[in-house]
Amino acid sequence: MSYAIEARGLGKDYRRMAAGYKLRTLKSALLERSLTQGLRQDELIPAVRDLSFTVDRGEAFAVIGSNGSGKSTLLKMVAGILKPTAGEIKVKGRVAALIELGAGFHPEISGRENVFINGAVLGLSRREIERRYDEIVEFSGLAKFMDEPVKNYSSGMYVRLGFSVAIHTDPDILLVDEVLAVGDEAFAHRCIRRIEEFLARGRTVLLVSHSLGLVEEFADRCLWLDAGVERLTGNPRRVADAYRRAVAETEGREHQAAKEHRESAVQIASAPEIDSVADSTDGEEAQESEAAEVLRWGTREAEVVTARMLSGDGTERYNFVSGDDVVFEIRVKARKRLHDFVFGVGIFTFRGLECWGTNTTLAGFESEVLSGEVTVRVVCPELRLGPGEYSLDVAVHGRDGYAYDYQRRILSFTMTAREQGVGVYFPRHEWEFEGGVKWSTVPSGHSGRSQEKHDV
Amino acid sequence: MLDVTRRLLRYRGLLWTLVVRELKGRYRGSFLGFFWSLVNPLILLAVYSFVFTYIFRPRFADGGASPYPLFLMCGLFPWIWVSTSLLEGTGSLLAGAGLIRRAVFPAEVLPMVFVVSNLIHFLLALPVLAGGLLIGRLLGHPVGGWGAVWLPLVIGLEFLVIGGMALGLAALNVHFKDVKDILTNVLAVLLYLTPILFPLSFIAWDWGRWAIGWLNPFAPFSTAFQQTLFTGVAPEPLLLLQMIGWAATAWVLGTWLFGRLSDSLAEAV
Repeated sequence: MSYAIEARGLGKDYRRMAAGYKLRTLKSALLERSLTQGLRQDELIPAVRDLSFTVDRGEAFAVIGSNGSGKSTLLKMVAGILKPTAGEIKVKGRVAALIELGAGFHPEISGRENVFINGAVLGLSRREIERRYDEIVEFSGLAKFMDEPVKNYSSGMYVRLGFSVAIHTDPDILLVDEVLAVGDEAFAHRCIRRIEEFLARGRTVLLVSHSLGLVEEFADRCLWLDAGVERLTGNPRRVADAYRRAVAETEGREHQAAKEHRESAVQIASAPEIDSVADSTDGEEAQESEAAEVLRWGTREAEVVTARMLSGDGTERYNFVSGDDVVFEIRVKARKRLHDFVFGVGIFTFRGLECWGTNTTLAGFESEVLSGEVTVRVVCPELRLGPGEYSLDVAVHGRDGYAYDYQRRILSFTMTAREQGVGVYFPRHEWEFEGGVKWSTVPSGHSGRSQEKHDV
Repeated sequence: MLDVTRRLLRYRGLLWTLVVRELKGRYRGSFLGFFWSLVNPLILLAVYSFVFTYIFRPRFADGGASPYPLFLMCGLFPWIWVSTSLLEGTGSLLAGAGLIRRAVFPAEVLPMVFVVSNLIHFLLALPVLAGGLLIGRLLGHPVGGWGAVWLPLVIGLEFLVIGGMALGLAALNVHFKDVKDILTNVLAVLLYLTPILFPLSFIAWDWGRWAIGWLNPFAPFSTAFQQTLFTGVAPEPLLLLQMIGWAATAWVLGTWLFGRLSDSLAEAV
């Protein structure tokens, strides 16, 4: 099969923008056709290094990676906006690129005129654009706004118009950066349908996305860029999984580091008897704590010393796969004998949604005596939270809610899932079908026949 | 160099779309619209005419530059095309940075938009000039004539000079923002070092006449406009050769420079 895009040893360095380089970069631009030829290594910022890959015609190829990993630079080189500083890239066919929000639009002029300009840039004659104009406007759903200057458009409207023009100019290769994420759900679905039609006609799509779900669903192959270097290329599911694991591991390490940092800070701060931050009414400090959220309060008659998470085998960790066994362990120190006490935990999403919370009273325990240092564990076999980031609140308080020590977000952890889904809950589930249902694709490990259980 | 020319030809539809929107955009929301573009040249014309006819009282009568306002108009209108095109064209790449940096956009179109849109302003002012010449004729002055048929050639050649310069300067301006400031001052000086306010023959020193005639790329064009429009005769063959020479030099050099720098434009703007 013939290729649509071929990169060999592709590299791109940016120059550092400092005074004094200007003359040299101009000279090198004039003589060597490159801005960076005459610069030393420390004057360069490598964005993409030694990248080789081929995208076949008719293929949907995805590029993933964290921010700053060189995805957009790569896309711009494919589009021909940027010139590589090493290696070469060959692109066969007409390219339409949706790279940045509002790219190629003239802010001061109307949407209508911009369609013509954009179309002309993409290589269409005026007559060809006129013929497709109605279709473009209809697909974008912006008929009412075509005479407005595009500077008054919302970001969603930019994307609608940009995508609509790009897809209707019928390019051979479509480059799509993150921008599609800006559109609303309905439009995103329409875009994806259009891209699928586009692919079905044997055209090529190069997609950059942070939406791993989209990548897995959509792409035939996936390239994972990490700091400008290829980490893995291949089956999108496999690559996206590897990427997720790497991200979770990094986050796990960061959580660990943050936790250690917090603990050392707590040891220094816990010298006074009463928690001064929470109860302070001092003008300055009150203002400060209003701005920063109060994360800890209580009398500290009993105190949460540490909190950590363990996996089923007893090792400490903060990244889990949905369905893993998870143990929350808190160590509590009572400064005096207490008779009225409740231990509680709560899991929140990062945006503050309470996913689950419980305490010993709710579970039916009646307190009798608490003294010295104790360890409390909440054991959750097969914790089935949806993929995402969560934080944990822990508390020791009286039955009436009188707080000894309440700590919000004492730790955070990451859940990943082997399968896509939305929401915070990820129950074990399976699909069953009866009657005239047939699938062209069935999740791996299953046959496609109906009346069969599809356990996932 | 050839690439730049080829791309300009390929994207002429885009160029035209942008020119139309530039012309529409400039006067949108203003009451008199396009007529404002005539006001500035006419005011300049009035001021220079007053200064040079009543204050300095030069020897125009015997020098072939009378009536002076008509003579001045024939050199001044094309000069306004030159100076505005170069100024606007030079800044065009920076102004259009959003287009170049983020989209697949043929950057060479941007400077040319201003060269073309100002050419259209110039062409639209020609009827005013023709009307003036007609009135002069009716008043018994020997102005105007069939030499005007050479006008398209002169304009075409000057288009290449301005276009080439605008492309080269625009690309340089991306790297050195001083280019535009230097240009502003050079143009201010050139107004007086080009035979616009006076015919070249007025320069008393031979070496001065020679220097301006041969070293100032706009001098032969200005003289040619004066000959074809004001005097109404065909431009001298030597002038034609000079104009062709300048047109070729400026276009080749400008597009070469632009082509050389074009790879780095997206990063540098």
